[in-house]
Amino acid sequence: MRNFFGKSVAVGAIAMLALTACGSGRDGDDKSGSGGEAAKGFAANSLIGVALPAKTSENWVLAGDLFTNGLKEAGFQSDVQYAGASTTVADQQAQITAMVTKGAKVIVIGATDAAQLATQVSAAHNAGAKVIAYDRLILNTPDLDYYVAFDNFKVGQLQGQALLDGMKKKKASGPYTVELFAGSPDDNNATVFFNGAMDVLKPEIDKGNVVVGSGQKDFKTIAIQGWKAEGAQARMDQLLTSTYGSKTIDGVLSPNDTLARAIIQSIKSRNKPVPVVTGQDSEVESIKSIMKGEQYMTINKDTRNLVKETINMVKSLQAGTEPQINDTKSYNNNTKVVPTYLLPPVAVTKDNAAEAYASDPKLAPLTK
Amino acid sequence: MSRFKDLQKNLFGGTTSNARQFGMIFTLLAIVLLFQFLTADKIGVGFGDGLTLRSDNLIALFQQNSYILILAIGMLMVIVAGHIDLSVGSVAAFVGILVAKSMADWSLPWPVAILFGLALGAAIGAWQGFWVAYIGVPAFIVTLAGMLLFRGANQFVGNADTIPVPPGFQKIGGGFLPEVGPDTGYNNLTLLLGLAACVAVVWRELQSRRTRKEMNAEPAPMWVSVIRMAIMVGVLVFVTLRFAGGRVGTSFPISGLILVVLVIAYGFYTRNTAGGRHIYAVGGNSRAAELSGVKLRRVNFFVMMNMSVLAALAGMIFVARSAASGPQDGLSWELDAIAAVFIGGAAVSGGIGTISGSIVGGLVMAVLNNGLQLLGVGTDRVQIIKGLVLLLAVALDVYNKSQGRFSIIGSITRPFRREASAEPASSSAAGSEPAKTTVAG
Repeated sequence: MRNFFGKSVAVGAIAMLALTACGSGRDGDDKSGSGGEAAKGFAANSLIGVALPAKTSENWVLAGDLFTNGLKEAGFQSDVQYAGASTTVADQQAQITAMVTKGAKVIVIGATDAAQLATQVSAAHNAGAKVIAYDRLILNTPDLDYYVAFDNFKVGQLQGQALLDGMKKKKASGPYTVELFAGSPDDNNATVFFNGAMDVLKPEIDKGNVVVGSGQKDFKTIAIQGWKAEGAQARMDQLLTSTYGSKTIDGVLSPNDTLARAIIQSIKSRNKPVPVVTGQDSEVESIKSIMKGEQYMTINKDTRNLVKETINMVKSLQAGTEPQINDTKSYNNNTKVVPTYLLPPVAVTKDNAAEAYASDPKLAPLTK
Repeated sequence: MSRFKDLQKNLFGGTTSNARQFGMIFTLLAIVLLFQFLTADKIGVGFGDGLTLRSDNLIALFQQNSYILILAIGMLMVIVAGHIDLSVGSVAAFVGILVAKSMADWSLPWPVAILFGLALGAAIGAWQGFWVAYIGVPAFIVTLAGMLLFRGANQFVGNADTIPVPPGFQKIGGGFLPEVGPDTGYNNLTLLLGLAACVAVVWRELQSRRTRKEMNAEPAPMWVSVIRMAIMVGVLVFVTLRFAGGRVGTSFPISGLILVVLVIAYGFYTRNTAGGRHIYAVGGNSRAAELSGVKLRRVNFFVMMNMSVLAALAGMIFVARSAASGPQDGLSWELDAIAAVFIGGAAVSGGIGTISGSIVGGLVMAVLNNGLQLLGVGTDRVQIIKGLVLLLAVALDVYNKSQGRFSIIGSITRPFRREASAEPASSSAAGSEPAKTTVAG
């Protein structure tokens, strides 16, 4: 028995050593080689991975479709994935890792949590893939290659300005009573939108021309976790109860359309007049609402253009040329300044809706 | 035909749970091979070059799922004792954020922070164990409350922020065995680990033969033992080389190592110690267990507390791998862990189930998830498929039990058994053999 035991251990060891000896397929660390590779580009039919957040707004669904079709037209193979509804971060981590395994040459990421993807981005970089952050900047990693987005600070400024203009139209002089809402605190953009808006509103608040009815101005207090509509509706319900029993509210700064509609819903359910509410994303329901005269404005960040620019970047990388960049100093992800291509957003109200969406097959009919 | 019966009886184990477990292992192998074929087919390469069994994918698979598998260990014990724990995700998230904060704000060194996290898990577990064991509130309610309580605490402490953790700490979730020794073209430590596993498998097999001989029981024929060892050593060698031969800088993940140690330790505890068997006794029939001297409260307190400690560990591993603690950590982890345990053959009524079965159950889900992702199937459809697999796996088990037959393998080999049906089908269900060797980790 002992003899047999000894033998089997020996056999196992020998088998393992033999397999070890016959050359391993271990790849070297690609870190050093990736610079040279970039200059060469890669095969025209390579796999391009696109990892997007959960399907919580029309925008992401549209972006996914545009990526699938656009990459196909450009001759690439594409793998477009959404995170699941509940385990978003873990899903996205697994999806990006799977894309790396499949040998994707470029991975485009619309992050669910901007700070929890550093490990996966580094893995992609080490495997020789280029990583483009789409719409949301990925933080704390030196391995992020590019960032493409709309100018989000500008979005906030446009929202702030529209809020002031809208209220002025309804009531010639102040002081105006407003409430402030911001997006999800784990989305880096939410802060940028809010700061942009406050860039315009703060001077007015300081002058006393604009008053925040509830006094809640701190980002942490007014942020809506996960951009959830029910979160915004609940907060508005509570504000109406606590602050607007008899007072009227003139305006609400809302960071996007989904939240704007939830806020309007809340106000309507109390039979109060709908104030000036801002938005963003040009969602179908919000365009309808704007044309009806409820929501005051939205931002047109044409997803088509954003996806088109991203695919252009992928094409440049494929050809081995440097992609077009127009900002090399604003977007620091805590480890490096990420080369960025910024697209300009457009503010849309009832007045210019027809013109703004003229080229959009889905939205144009709604503005007639 | 008798040889086949020998093989069936001895290779896959004779008792219900063992047979079920081996059935799951074969299901797992079948799924792995299926995805290996499908991924190879999709990118148009040979079977050997499929993506599923590639080094980097296997490594990623372990890293991505080690925290769920660790939860499954604790959950198995909770479910065997006849309870359930819905709070693990929230507990993991709460511990994760506090540990991240302790390092960021109080600049606690990371090893101390890990101890702090485990202590926190123990404290939370003691809290939940107290209500379950000493007040007698059903675990479902206590942990439902805990789910809300600790999710809220996570958001209260974290302010819904994402807090990064230092590189040293990241090792427990994202690190690998280091490169040491001569350049063999493989990671040496991983090779050693694999060799140790091979030796352990062979030793255990021989040990069990010796025990049976001493007990004057008829040991399985030698050739069956040899085949069994050959299969296990073969699989181990293959897996070891895959883990050891990945890209330089990667090897067997640290989180996987933690998992293996836990599986072996808890496997031994639940199988071979009095304390472990008490959990089964309580779950099987708590009244009878109490009358025969099992300290009911102590067992219940222990399983609940133990679960929270493991949840704390899982939370820290996830935070380490994500390089940051975020507000969405831990969402629906409890469901993944519970699914793994039930797919792995545990009974809803308690008293039945094994650690290794739960790990295999967890791996079935993990491989399914990974394989479908490699094929580019969206998460919506992945969730539908996973839901159906859970339902079918448990339904098949329930159906087989009600038919007095056992498990998948049993039903595959049924036609053969009919011919030589000297033994009634039901005798196989009673534990007609002493504890068989099960595959460790």
